[in-house]
Amino acid sequence: MKQNTFYLLAGIVGLIEVGLFWLSVVLRNPLIITAGFIMGVGLLYVARMTVTDIREDERAVLISQKAGSRTLEVFWVLFFAVSLGSAVIGFGTPLGLPRPRELPRDFPRDEPHLGYFGIFQMIMLCCIAFLYIGFRVYYARKYGEWDSDEE
Amino acid sequence: MHDLTQEALAQELKVTRQTILAIEKGKYDPSLELAFKIARFFGVSVEEVFIYD
Repeated sequence: MKQNTFYLLAGIVGLIEVGLFWLSVVLRNPLIITAGFIMGVGLLYVARMTVTDIREDERAVLISQKAGSRTLEVFWVLFFAVSLGSAVIGFGTPLGLPRPRELPRDFPRDEPHLGYFGIFQMIMLCCIAFLYIGFRVYYARKYGEWDSDEE
Repeated sequence: MHDLTQEALAQELKVTRQTILAIEKGKYDPSLELAFKIARFFGVSVEEVFIYD
């Protein structure tokens, strides 16, 4: 498989995931998107192994490793700090959830508080991606990715 | 000495041209394996291509 074909496949899988997410929300069934996402990522990993025109040498691997380890170094602190805050909320109430207010029976319930935490986690994951890109750019520049000949 | 382009050397050593350029500019220190490959390609010893400082 060519690299551009892989990118096309990744885009299609991404669109399917958006559709599955929508379906999951409409049917109120989190299993659909959870299973769909795992299968989608698995498919992309398998497809990536078949890409033939990747030119990745030891310098590119070094850049990826450095950027990955720096991202992890920074991110685990942020993630752990936020999780500690969540644990405080969890231990602060009997069931780990705020007590629901008394609302009319047909009033749309705003119940998935853990879902909001999931959204917050996704925002954090987006931050990881940006952090990784930042470190990648830094190390790519350090190891001469965009240098050109003087002549 | 050699009528050789960076691209041709990179292809021969199975690395990217940017890696060759980065080594030339001193921005990247190659692995031992790549250093030996470069030396072998030019038919010289590693010490003649790279110096430790």
